Amino acid sequence: MGLVARSLEENGLSTVVLTMVPEYNREIGIPRVAAIEYPFGRIVGEVNDAVGQRQVLLSVLSVLENAESPGEVVHLPFTWHEEPKETKWHPPEISPIVKLYLDEIKKAGAEARS
Amino acid sequence: MTDENKVVNGFCFLPPSLSAWIKSTIPKDEFQGEIPWTPLKKPLAETTFSLMTSAGINMNDDPPFDMAKEKREPMWGDPSYRRIPITATQTDIDVNHLHVNTGYIKKDINVVLPVNRFQEFEADGTIGALAPIAYSYYGYQMDPAVLINETMPQVVADMKAEGVEAVLLTPT
Repeated sequence: MGLVARSLEENGLSTVVLTMVPEYNREIGIPRVAAIEYPFGRIVGEVNDAVGQRQVLLSVLSVLENAESPGEVVHLPFTWHEEPKETKWHPPEISPIVKLYLDEIKKAGAEARS
Repeated sequence: MTDENKVVNGFCFLPPSLSAWIKSTIPKDEFQGEIPWTPLKKPLAETTFSLMTSAGINMNDDPPFDMAKEKREPMWGDPSYRRIPITATQTDIDVNHLHVNTGYIKKDINVVLPVNRFQEFEADGTIGALAPIAYSYYGYQMDPAVLINETMPQVVADMKAEGVEAVLLTPT
């Protein structure tokens, strides 16, 4: 997403990226970022919650309007209404890359716990 | 609910092992390179917007993003894009993505591609206009070369032809 934003900006289009993983900004350098702690697959808000979606999007537009220099990350104040474990964002099947790297992922988890 | 001092933890929804693995791939320090920058030229209320998501949405009469090839080749992700008219309804679209639950998007496209909300913003004067086409690609790109070098020039040309000045990007 960061590379796509960069490509648009290089071609004269202003962008704002809404993201749930602002840490990726350390890898790529994204022009304008609004970070939100909402689950994967529902970054704008809950299904059919027009009022909530609208609040989030107005905040994002404000980031676009007020950002003064490239690389700015604004953390939005919204909190999701469910506990992370209850969000059911996972795909029905384990993704191909996670399947491929499952041993390494388990190892990284074990190292982080130790 | 809001928390004015919120600092977003991008890993809070991920299982601990997957978080640890992804964290090991991201630099610990801030990005130091150049970042491209196109200042907003006009107030929001005079600016023409488009929306672009990595959610893997396609119109039913267009080909879906290729999930079968990714299942065979897990490091590959479909690098193409789809044009989504902002008038598309829930029954006009399909969603394919192997890394998230697509069920919510199939119920309400606005959870990742807020076409209805931005039409309301145009109607109430918050923005100047929403261009007629929104854009969708597939957000799993381990090698982004084709997406950036071949797909994006087409997207940029389409957007410019449609008078777009600013773009909201939303991941899955």
